[in-house]
Amino acid sequence: MKTILIAFIGEVRKGLLINWTYKANLLISLLTLGFIFIGIAFFMGGGKMESEKVTSALLGYLIWMYAALAVNDLSYGLRGEINAGTLEQLEMSPAPVGWLLIARVTANLIISSVQITVLGIVMLLLLGIRFPLRLEALPALLLTMVGVLGFGFIIAGAMLVLKQVESFSNLLINALAFMNGTFLPVSAMPDWLVVISKSLPSTQGIVVIRKIVMEGKSLITTWQDGSLISLTLNSAIYLMIGWIIFTACERVAKNRGTLGQY
Amino acid sequence: MKSSHAIEINGLNKFYYHKKGTSIQAVKGLSLSVPTGQIYGFLGPNGAGKTTTIKMICGLVRPTSGTVFVNGHNVWLKRSTAMQQIGAVLEGTRNIHWALSAWDNLIYYGHLKGLWGKRLAIRAEQLLMEMELWDRRKDLVRAFSRGMQQKVAVACALIADPPVILLDEPTLGLDVLAARTVKNLVVRLAKEHRKTVILTTHQLDMAQSVCDRVAIINKGQIITDKPIEELLDLFRKRHYQIKIEGNLPDGADSAFKDLTVEQKEGFTQLSGTIPDQVSLYDTLERIRSHNLILIAVNRTEPNLEEIFIHLVDSSSTQTKQGDS
Repeated sequence: MKTILIAFIGEVRKGLLINWTYKANLLISLLTLGFIFIGIAFFMGGGKMESEKVTSALLGYLIWMYAALAVNDLSYGLRGEINAGTLEQLEMSPAPVGWLLIARVTANLIISSVQITVLGIVMLLLLGIRFPLRLEALPALLLTMVGVLGFGFIIAGAMLVLKQVESFSNLLINALAFMNGTFLPVSAMPDWLVVISKSLPSTQGIVVIRKIVMEGKSLITTWQDGSLISLTLNSAIYLMIGWIIFTACERVAKNRGTLGQY
Repeated sequence: MKSSHAIEINGLNKFYYHKKGTSIQAVKGLSLSVPTGQIYGFLGPNGAGKTTTIKMICGLVRPTSGTVFVNGHNVWLKRSTAMQQIGAVLEGTRNIHWALSAWDNLIYYGHLKGLWGKRLAIRAEQLLMEMELWDRRKDLVRAFSRGMQQKVAVACALIADPPVILLDEPTLGLDVLAARTVKNLVVRLAKEHRKTVILTTHQLDMAQSVCDRVAIINKGQIITDKPIEELLDLFRKRHYQIKIEGNLPDGADSAFKDLTVEQKEGFTQLSGTIPDQVSLYDTLERIRSHNLILIAVNRTEPNLEEIFIHLVDSSSTQTKQGDS
């Protein structure tokens, strides 16, 4: 257990150090995401900045960013490790690789939090919108990230077996932005799309966090109205399925001898 | 399970299956034991099954059948304990993070193996000093030369002080000086650090000079597995160099096709393995029948490269004959 914990901390530390080395990339991705949001905000308001719509969209966008950056790390990041041959070294740790991927996402969560805080503050100031910071949203955000982690495990597993999955991962990340209720309300979607949308890892998280931050509801209230229960179930199912798929894919890659191949 | 062997492999088989229903057997019933504290050369031509075997020892490729024990721990049943016994530098990859400094790479790999705190820092310092990288410990590894990067990779493999080190082509792509550094390092690992080293390399002169024992693998099967001196001894008695005055006349080459023919200044040199006295006299008779003037016949010291080529060729011929 001690070994697993130390390996976990080591993986988080490595993630933070590598991101620090590539800090210019982080800044550029932050600017890109900022410009994209400003563009979309104007588009949503038909060329104007509609405060209410934009506030709700910004909250969803920031949560989507967490998901996008984590999934990206588990696809492009893992791909980089495969190319460098460091994934095979990771596999030779006494700690299970699944735990080390959780550590990767943890490091990513820390970095994303800094990026998202900076972007959020800039957007609030730039667009002249306000929403209260409520710590009660934090557990809901973490629960959402558990589901995203499960989703990331599926992508990471596919990466081990199929290798070229970055484009597919990009497609999923972009689809998430438009289907998880970030910009378009789920209620406005056709019935068949609502089913897909609600089954995505971040949709329910956005619903719950919006309720807490924008409507001032408490965690208990969201539990009582069933939305937090839905989020918990959704995230638990994603994590479980993701873990099963990842470990199965890892086994397939070891059987095929393709773990470190690109 | 306690064992006097650092590595024990029993009946290892690996099939790779393809989508069209075909399969390739990369490793065929491989069994070997590597005594503790030795440098074990694991040699073979490209595609012989060396890397697959090394990766099965590291738990990176799952065998179709057979078992691998590292210091008595089954790699697949006791993965976590077995992984604590191994440090590896794998072929053709960086093995380390170029975006981290040498120091941070060592700390990271120490953490991955469960090392922590002062013990880890002392070990990292000791290794960086030994590799003569202490002054550059804070530099990013991507700024290092290939040889220095390889030294960092070896240091990372050693960080948890594992009893078994696997080095798969550690000198691949290195210049002469860097390759010599790695070679010296391999010797130090076994002689000073008492490690068991499994070394795969195509640099047979290096294998000859550093290995205690050598196994040669071809087409997935071990064709020899002996202490290096014993292997050289086997061939020492049979390796000859014959000097003939002038050049060989046209058509005479074919009479000596079992030997290597080299035209030198003023003489021709025939060299190679002549298995027994009867064959030696037969060769001399062929020289006489071509009216060639014999200058000298010497029994020479064989080298691992010639033995390797001879054994791999023989094994390939036997396989072809078996197939037909």
